[in-house]
Amino acid sequence: MIFTIHNKIERNSIVLALGIILVSAVGGLVEIAPLFTIDDTVESDPDMRVYTPLELAGRNIYIREGCYSCHSQMIRTLKDEVDRYGPYSRAVESQYDHPMLWGSKRTGPDLARIGEKYSDLWHTRHLNNPRDVVPQSIMPAYSWLLKNDLNTRDLRGNLKAMSRVGVPYKDSMINLANRDAIAQASPSSGDVAGLIERYGQATSVRVFDGDPQRVTEMDAVVAYLQILGRLTEVAHSDTSVKFDSKENVASAEGS
Amino acid sequence: MSVSERDKYTGHMTTGHEWNGIKELNTPVPLVLLVFLSAAFLFALGYWILMPAWPLGDTYTKGTLGFDQRQHLAKQIEKNDSEQSRWIDPLVQLDFDAIQGNSQLMAIVDESGPALFEDNCAMCHGSDGDGGRYFPKLNDTSWLWGSDPNVILQTLAVGINSTHPDTRIAIMPGFGAAGVLSAEVIENLVAYVQSISSSHNTSIEQANMAGKEAYSMYCAGCHANDGTGNSVVGAPNLTDDYWVYGGDTTALTATLTHGRKGHMPAWDKRLSLSERRILTLYVLSLNQSVVTGDKP
Amino acid sequence: MTFPERALATRITLLMLGIGLIMAFAGHDIGFRLQGAVVVAATLATLVVLFLIRTQPEPSPQELTYYYDAPIKAGIYLSLIWAVLGMFVGVWVALLLAYPELTFDYAWSSLGRLRPVHTSGVIFGFGGNALIATSFHVVQRTSRTRLPDQLSPWFVLLGFNLFCLVAATGYLLGITQSKEYAEPEWYADIWLVIVWVTYLVLYLRTLARRQEPHIYVANWYYLAFILVVAVLHIINNLAVPVSLLGSKSYSLFAGVQDAMTQWWYGHNAVAFFLTAGFLGMLYYYLPKRAERPIYSYRMSIISFWGITFMYMWAGSHHLHYTALPQWVQTLGVTFSVMLIVPSWGSAGNALLTLNGAWHKVRDDATLRFMMVAAVFYGISTFEGSFMAIRPVNSLSHYTDWTIGHVHAGVLGWVSFIVFGTFYSLVPWIWHRQRMYSLFLIEVHFWLAISGTIIYLIAMWNAGITQGIMWRTYNESGTLTYSFLESFVAMHPYYVARAFGGFLFLIGAVLAFYNIVMTVRHMPIEREVNKDIPVGLMPVQSGEATA
Ligand code: HEC
Ligand code: HEC
Ligand code: HEC
Ligand code: HEM
Ligand code: HEM
Ligand SMILES: [Ca+2]
Ligand SMILES: [Ca+2]
Ligand SMILES: [Cu+2]
Repeated sequence: MIFTIHNKIERNSIVLALGIILVSAVGGLVEIAPLFTIDDTVESDPDMRVYTPLELAGRNIYIREGCYSCHSQMIRTLKDEVDRYGPYSRAVESQYDHPMLWGSKRTGPDLARIGEKYSDLWHTRHLNNPRDVVPQSIMPAYSWLLKNDLNTRDLRGNLKAMSRVGVPYKDSMINLANRDAIAQASPSSGDVAGLIERYGQATSVRVFDGDPQRVTEMDAVVAYLQILGRLTEVAHSDTSVKFDSKENVASAEGS
Repeated sequence: MSVSERDKYTGHMTTGHEWNGIKELNTPVPLVLLVFLSAAFLFALGYWILMPAWPLGDTYTKGTLGFDQRQHLAKQIEKNDSEQSRWIDPLVQLDFDAIQGNSQLMAIVDESGPALFEDNCAMCHGSDGDGGRYFPKLNDTSWLWGSDPNVILQTLAVGINSTHPDTRIAIMPGFGAAGVLSAEVIENLVAYVQSISSSHNTSIEQANMAGKEAYSMYCAGCHANDGTGNSVVGAPNLTDDYWVYGGDTTALTATLTHGRKGHMPAWDKRLSLSERRILTLYVLSLNQSVVTGDKP
Repeated sequence: MTFPERALATRITLLMLGIGLIMAFAGHDIGFRLQGAVVVAATLATLVVLFLIRTQPEPSPQELTYYYDAPIKAGIYLSLIWAVLGMFVGVWVALLLAYPELTFDYAWSSLGRLRPVHTSGVIFGFGGNALIATSFHVVQRTSRTRLPDQLSPWFVLLGFNLFCLVAATGYLLGITQSKEYAEPEWYADIWLVIVWVTYLVLYLRTLARRQEPHIYVANWYYLAFILVVAVLHIINNLAVPVSLLGSKSYSLFAGVQDAMTQWWYGHNAVAFFLTAGFLGMLYYYLPKRAERPIYSYRMSIISFWGITFMYMWAGSHHLHYTALPQWVQTLGVTFSVMLIVPSWGSAGNALLTLNGAWHKVRDDATLRFMMVAAVFYGISTFEGSFMAIRPVNSLSHYTDWTIGHVHAGVLGWVSFIVFGTFYSLVPWIWHRQRMYSLFLIEVHFWLAISGTIIYLIAMWNAGITQGIMWRTYNESGTLTYSFLESFVAMHPYYVARAFGGFLFLIGAVLAFYNIVMTVRHMPIEREVNKDIPVGLMPVQSGEATA
């Protein structure tokens, strides 16, 4: 039966082409479309922060240098991963990630919770030459990050494009993107209060690369790494999952 | 046009079509293929019934097992926690002396310490605690804040110059940059500091007296008169042969001119109390292993 | 090309030159400007060629009834150039993972930028050109008709290579969307859509002109490859550029939706680029070379529709245990497992086609390449279905096991089928009696097979070691190994992989040499007019056993 019908299909290239499109369309439709309609796909967190312009610039450099080809940013719901890296990643954490950087290979460790794990100085030295701090490392050296000044002028357009794809950047954020980036990495020369007002108390305002005079690409990358896993507390505070015995003990200790 | 013929080799008929010399046999689909297809489909069907599977508009089928990867993990962790409580409880409750006297607990420290240390601390302090430029050595006998395990435990919880509200603070002032000391005085001080370090052969007597004077005026408050440091403010011992920031003239000049403020992160949010206690004991054992390592 | 076609070609090239110039001079960022310069250079080169051929006579009406093979020949060369380049970068990347200092202190030469040059270079440059070239050959032969015009095949081939060139140079400049296998930025993506739609139209027009009542299986696969890749490419690359004169864009989707779309694309790039297309190749060149009928027409049907339907569901196996809702993962597992049946259906159909020709497999390295390809197709799809099972994936994901699986597919299956095909095709379309050196083919075969096996064994070991080290617990319930220990343990495997890859690369260089020498030094076969559409003659042995 199938074979007699097929006898017709294979004699008409248009029918064949339409058949291919139809048959191949089903899977994607069924799997992707509901991700936009089923509510509990993405947790909701009204306090979810957006990347500051400096962090976004750092993220763009992270993409530019292809860090995602060795580092994942997705802790799976597996015990060993939670034990090693911390609470597993939630969908909301990459809600504003256009595109997501979950990664597919762990040549280096997962970075989803790297924020504030190490010091700025460590990141700066590590990125400049990983073997300076980790002799066994096989990570490439990114020495140019310290040499290149960050292009802050274009940040406005970047924020604007991000807002076009749905990230809630306010107009003031977009308009002041350039200044906010400078203020975050070189606190003495910028409107830090305004930056904090726009992006929240949790914003780290520091000289990330150790040089207050210049805002370098290193500033941006380190600022980005230091915010990873810290845009929302959802992963740490979800009570339905009692996995963070770590914190309970910590607060009990009262040190 | 469609003339089937029999393939001599397999004995099957061809379909009768030919494309540029290629023919096809009309061999029926082998039974194994159909059996496999059915088996695979049945497997899938079973899986769909048991597990969350099919989207339905704004929800999805939950599966008869009610399985959820997150709850499954939570259960695993709970089970593990209760199993571990046999050693976590004493480890957290006993004081360090008692733990150090308990070989079973110390066996757990020896077992768990290395990987925990290498995943969290080795990036700065080196795999064997050997330290490196800007990050202190932990496998020696001199401690910035003292060798008491409770002190180390506290350091781990709050960090040094970290973002933790109760952080320890250790600041080496930038005397040159602040205009307190001239380049000349700093030069003298550098020579003096080098001379008191055991990495130098020069003895104190030969040292620059001007340097010594400046030292007792500006430095002794933190580093002590004899340069052995002060564990209350985390000021390092200057008389040993180990330098966090380097002992050559350039490095020392930089230290005195711009100051230092090493950043050790706080771990209370990232590591559980038991993990921090394991690390404390492990770190202390590092330097013992150096001692015993010297005389095999 | 006819004169009107040449005129149109010149106009299109000038238009592209204009776009290139705008990019180069008005671009907002240096990367975009340099990409413009690449476009300018490529179009100027095309213009020079168009100028040089301006006085050549038009093809005679007689010639216009022959098969049009010139773009196929160019495609074979381009494919080989990309093969050597892409695999060279692959070896370089492999060495960097073993010896991180083996590089220059320049941004372009760092691993993160070289890696996509490797992946795109081999998949799109090597694989894509091979697919385009062979699809032109197969569709003409099995439809017994000439391509409908002379311009569009060149537009497709050269336009596609412009895309590859812009992509590869873009990565070196740090221009990437970070979406695996879809890294090129928005302007390159748009260009590829134009090229690809032309390809589809060209293909359908050729099929419409066919003189055979039935469309041959190989064409089903090529058609599926063209159609589905178009859909995947357009949807996964939806993005908003920061500026129409800048390189950067932001993907339309974010987070979990973006992840699912990306791996729906990523998995099916494997399915329809690296699998369907090459199955088309297999379905023509293997029976031709073996001179055997396809084992089962009915199995072809089942396998084809099975693959077309089921593959599209399997992408979520790249996201097991992640923040992707579990129901999608379930669908991914089940369809991946069912997928083994049509996959093995195709592999089995190919191998059973060799029944009655096994003595040829023994003697003819070219046919042996194709046989091994079918075997590795079977191996890698089995492995894939296995790795798609959640507990297995919990171990294999993020490790070098994935890399091993990938290269079982791309070395053992894709590369082997391409080389087998090229060794058959080159003498046919250049009308040579045989390849220049059968000995070199034999050497290539053994280099390729040993390189592949070394690569695979190294990566399987590496991946499983890594996966086990990450999850090993002490008796007390704490982790035994640090991450540091796990990647230090990879060093010997990374060295072995680089060595295996090096052998494979040497093989590819030999293939290039052998093919160039065939074209330059082998005598032309007299009976050219056997391989023409009219005349309805079945192909004689002289052609098929070259
Ligand atoms: C060759 C693959 C590779 C690339 C590319 C790479 N890394 Fe790494 N990365 C590693 C390895 C291996 C380690 C572990 C050893 C070490 O700390 O150097 C690591 C460690 C790290 C760490 C410390 C993580 C931890 O938990 O200890 C950070 C942060 C990091 N990399 C950031 C980056 C950034 C940012 C980039 C891109 C600019 C990058 N990496 C590119 C391989 C890579
Ligand atoms: C980002 C780098 C970094 C990491 C990671 C780090 N440390 Fe430290 N640690 C430091 C620095 C820097 C100091 C010295 C601070 C100063 O200069 O006063 C220090 C100091 C210490 C001290 C005090 C030493 C003394 O002599 O009193 C201890 C103990 C210590 N670290 C243990 C650890 C342990 C255990 C871990 C892992 C949980 C760890 N460190 C992780 C950077 C780091
Ligand atoms: C306010 C207390 C204070 C005073 C005063 C002070 N220091 Fe320090 N010094 C410190 C602290 C705390 C550190 C450790 C800083 C760190 O590790 O980040 C330190 C570090 C150093 C180091 C680096 C040691 C190493 O291992 O690399 C040198 C050298 C040093 N001090 C010399 C001096 C000299 C000379 C003076 C006087 C001019 C001086 N210090 C005055 C607190 C002080
Ligand atoms: C000379 C032979 C080759 C060598 C030495 C080689 C080496 C490599 C290396 C080192 C990687 C990176 C792995 C990692 O990040 O850990 C890689 C990835 C990859 N290679 Fe190759 N390769 C070779 C041939 C090929 C060929 C011929 C193809 C395709 C036709 C190919 C396709 C890929 C793909 C798709 C990836 C990405 C895998 C992933 O992201 O999971 N490679 N290769
Ligand atoms: C039945 C067929 C197949 C199935 C079910 C399958 C399944 C899988 C699975 C489960 C992964 C690992 C995903 C992860 O953990 O990250 C994977 C990765 C991959 N497979 Fe397959 N595979 C199949 C056939 C093939 C073939 C034939 C090729 C190549 C020609 C191939 C190329 C790849 C590539 C390139 C990746 C890496 C993707 C990435 O992470 O970058 N697969 N496949
Ligand atoms: Ca990958
Ligand atoms: Ca793209
Ligand atoms: Cu896949």
